[in-house]
Amino acid sequence: MTTVLDVKNLKKELDTFSLAKVDFLLKEGCITGFIGINGSGKTTTIKTILGLYPRDEGSIKFFGKEIEKNEYIIKNRIGVVLDEGYFYEDMTLKEMKSVIAPAYTNWDESIFLKYINRFNLKLNQKIATLSKGMRMKFALTLALSHHADLLIMDEPTSGLDPLIRNELMEILLDFMEEDGKSVFFSTHITSDLDKVADMLILIDKGRIIFNESKDELLDRHALVKGDNSLINEHTRRLFLSLRQTAVGFEGITDKLDVVREQMNDCLIERPSIENIMLAYVKEG
Amino acid sequence: MLFHLVKKDFILAKKYLLFMLVFAVIGPMFIYSKLGFDNGSFTSFLITVLFTEYILFNMVSMQEDKYRGSALLCTTPHTRNGVIKAKYLFVLVIFIGCFLLFNLAVAIGFSTGLARLNIYSIGIALLIISVFFGILIPIQTKFGYEKTKYIFFILIFLTPFILPTIIEWYQSMNFNINFQLPLPQTVMVWVPFVISIFIILISMIISIQIFSKKNL
Repeated sequence: MTTVLDVKNLKKELDTFSLAKVDFLLKEGCITGFIGINGSGKTTTIKTILGLYPRDEGSIKFFGKEIEKNEYIIKNRIGVVLDEGYFYEDMTLKEMKSVIAPAYTNWDESIFLKYINRFNLKLNQKIATLSKGMRMKFALTLALSHHADLLIMDEPTSGLDPLIRNELMEILLDFMEEDGKSVFFSTHITSDLDKVADMLILIDKGRIIFNESKDELLDRHALVKGDNSLINEHTRRLFLSLRQTAVGFEGITDKLDVVREQMNDCLIERPSIENIMLAYVKEG
Repeated sequence: MLFHLVKKDFILAKKYLLFMLVFAVIGPMFIYSKLGFDNGSFTSFLITVLFTEYILFNMVSMQEDKYRGSALLCTTPHTRNGVIKAKYLFVLVIFIGCFLLFNLAVAIGFSTGLARLNIYSIGIALLIISVFFGILIPIQTKFGYEKTKYIFFILIFLTPFILPTIIEWYQSMNFNINFQLPLPQTVMVWVPFVISIFIILISMIISIQIFSKKNL
């Protein structure tokens, strides 16, 4: 599979936060979920990758090319949805489009109008009057109307109701039906990724914790439940996170074979992405 | 692509645009009628263009500051350099617009004595605009709209206190800055334009440098 984004040793120092040597790859044909709790560095990473924050160190290659030397070509192949929209709110949708569309060499007006109709957006409506959900849909419309190969979205589902979130996931799956497309999107609502993600990258305190396929990650970890009598100094170390109450324990492990061998009578379940994320974040 | 970024600025300033268009025609006639000295046409044009440029430019800057739209623009093939270049082009387009409307004002108010400007006067007006925005744009790029507003407020507030001292010092030094370039008169009239372009280019390079390091 071709690499669509290659980030190496990315460093960015902000006043109260820093990214430390961020490394990851995105593969073509994959939906990659970029997960982490609020303030973990998701937005900083995305903004640095897109050049909105100048990086301190490291290299960023889109489709095998350095972004500095190929900005115009690369940005023509990327669609971006930012968390806060960054729209000029006094403009109408039509006016905003008239500013964005001419920047792209392959802007497709018919696709734009198709999404405008699908989302029931009105071109003469002021952006300020759009709800958060409608605003995200408009951002998505702009991002999808120039045949982008890579869609980058920062917290697109944050603050949206489950219905709109579900609709967004379906749009992503539709987008992925065409060959050569990829999606990278950050979220702290990991349930959105259960259906659609192929790969998962976890970031915490500005460091990448893991970057692997969702299925492998879920297979490699387990949610273990059982009686407190099974927990001792030795077995406690088998867990990434462990919560004990009066009725028993619940923990996430990445040493499933050892747990099976040493802890009889425990219940082993498949964890959710959220279980795994919180286990690593707590451990960190 | 630059054209569309300039168009964006005009859309952002649309609330004031009609008023400023009317002002660009009526302003010179009104100001000229209040000024009772020679060269009143030039002064009325300069005041009109400075006022129009400042109002429209700040209207755009205020909205840029509020909505941080340049972040979205910079995720598209519109580049950071383009965003800065468009600001200067916006100022230049307003200047040309004001000049054209001033000629309309001259046609309407010809009987009042308002006269067409010669090339040299237009060049001097452009030079003054270039100096003003050549300073304003890099400062605003560095500090943002709100802080720049306060910086300029303080400067304007201090002017009555500092300016007399500077003038006194200047007069006491008996400087003589009258000099003639060894150029024919037909070329000399274009010198202010050349200096303006030079100032704009230097200012633009500084603004681009500042903006390239900014977190959007």
